[in-house]
Order: sequence, then C-alpha cells, then structure tokens
Amino acid sequence: MNELEVLDEYVPLRGETPEWDEVLRRARRRRSPRLLVAVVVALAVFGGAPALAVVLLHNGKPGLPSGADRSNVAIMLQPQTGRIVLEVAPWKGHDGFCYFAYFNRSGCVPRSNQTVVTAPPIFGWTFDPRVAEATATTFGGKHVQLLVRRFSGRINATFFFEAQRYALLRNIVLRDRHGHVIVRLRKSAR
Amino acid sequence: MLDELEGFYRANLAELRRVATAIAGDRELGCDAVQEAFARAVRKRRSFRGTGTLEAWVWRIVVNAARDARRRRPDLAEPAEPSANGHAPVIPLDLLTERQREIVFLHYYADLDYASIAEALAISKGTVGATLNAARRTLRAALEEVSS
Repeated sequence: MNELEVLDEYVPLRGETPEWDEVLRRARRRRSPRLLVAVVVALAVFGGAPALAVVLLHNGKPGLPSGADRSNVAIMLQPQTGRIVLEVAPWKGHDGFCYFAYFNRSGCVPRSNQTVVTAPPIFGWTFDPRVAEATATTFGGKHVQLLVRRFSGRINATFFFEAQRYALLRNIVLRDRHGHVIVRLRKSAR
Repeated sequence: MLDELEGFYRANLAELRRVATAIAGDRELGCDAVQEAFARAVRKRRSFRGTGTLEAWVWRIVVNAARDARRRRPDLAEPAEPSANGHAPVIPLDLLTERQREIVFLHYYADLDYASIAEALAISKGTVGATLNAARRTLRAALEEVSS
C-alpha cells in the first residue's frame, strides 16, 4: 500500500448531492445567534464572570420542547468554544421549565425543591440562588467536590452533565452558604 | 459573487467534503462544516477584497469550519482494538502533525497547488513544500515498516 492508497481509503471519494438551498437558509438563519455568541463570549472573557446566562428573545432554534415559552429562553454557552450547552425556558401553562441540553437531551419538568437534572454529574450549572456548593460520593466511597457555576434566572434548578467515562458518582449533595443541605440526590449504579 | 460561490460549491463539492471530513475526523461533521463554511462565505462575501483568489478564500473558511467541527466533536475516541500481535493498529496518518495532515489533505484530496494551499492556510509556499515533503517521508517510512 502506498500513501495515495492510504488517503483513498481514509476518506473515499464519493458522489455528492449539492445542498445549496440549505447553505442559503443557514446564511440567513445564523445571523442573530452569532451576534449572541459574540456578546456572551465577550462578557465571559472580559466580565470576569465564570460564564453567564442571558435571557432574551430567541428565534426558535430546534431543540426545546414545544411546551417551552420561547419568548423567554436562557442560553448557556461554553465560553471557550461558544457552543450552546443548555437552553432553558419556562414551561407554558405549568410551574416548571423546559430544557434542551447538549447532545439532544431535552424535556419539561415541574419546579420543585428537588429539581436536579442529572445523569452522572461532573460539572454543574445552577439557576438556584441558594446553591453555594456541591459535593458527591463516588461508587468507591470517595468524597469529591463538584464544580458548580451559578447563573441568574427565574428557574430554581441545578443542571449537571455527564461524560460516560465519569459515570462514577453515587450521590450529589447541594448545600447553601450556611452548609445546610438543599438537595440530596441518589442514583443507582448502571 | 453569490453565483461564483454557488458555482465553486457545485463544482468542487466532493473535494470540499472530502477535505472537511478528513480534518473533522467524521463524515457527518465534515459535510456539516462545508455547509456552515459556505453559509459563512455567503454572509461575509462583501469582505472578500480580491487580494487573493476566491478559491483560496473559500478553502480557508472551509478549513476553519472543519477545525471548529473537530474541536466540538464529542470525545468518542475508544481505545483501538489490539491486533493479533497485541499492539494497537497504527494508521499512518495519525503519525502526522495537524498542519501536515491539513496540507496533505488539501494537496491530495483537493488537488490544490502550493500557492493555493499557502493562501488557504495563511502560511508561506516554502512552508507548504517543506511540510508536505516531511509528511510524505513520514508516511512512506510508516508504510515500509508496516509492509516489512
């Protein structure tokens, strides 16, 4: 095998169907979110905040469930990449909220003191003003401190995101600034 | 300008997607990067000042979009399956640096000359030639080792 054969095998040449209309749709559609990303990243970089949530009119990007109030969407961006990792909005007609998280996890949940959206957590964002710190216990019994970023917003919820390889945590405890437990969440081993 | 972009897109789609797929490391991400790159090009077309070629300007946007796609790619890397001798198989392209790979992809998949690659990657023609030669040497050495 020579280098050309290696390259041909790596990405084979194939017939392609042009999608120029879709290019034009994207060109029209993406203007306002790009502005948003620029503003948010700039604020995250220059404002000294760990990151932030922004409540604004949103143009209905696919992802949030249909029950979400799209006139009031909080968007959370990963500051380094500008990628949207979470969208949250009030749940129309309910006391709760709808969310769309990175990798297509979405849903609507009622508000409660126990509202924590999670699969094994490694990193969390909270809209709950009471939350000051988060700790967890691994399945091996080790206690770990979780990194939690707080955002302003009308939703009393804390979000954690998983990475499969970190699926090691058995429970999470959220505490307020006085050390009182707000939420104690247990999860079973998978 | 819009017509020229569309013409370039339609005439070179296979090469564009091939390069973007190779850089992004995933066919779907690569195709999406091309769409996104041309959407950017359409939006920014008035900023093209004509100091270089339209082709190189577009390629630069495509390469950047593919790099962005790769960075955003979820970490799906699984450990390679060991082969019969107990060692993980080595793909020779993995031995190249990121710049070497991009130059190789633009040269072989898109058939760009040194000047166009230099313009697309914002480097000198001399760097393109030297990097491409080094990449070829690495690939040939790896392939000889595999075949021996």
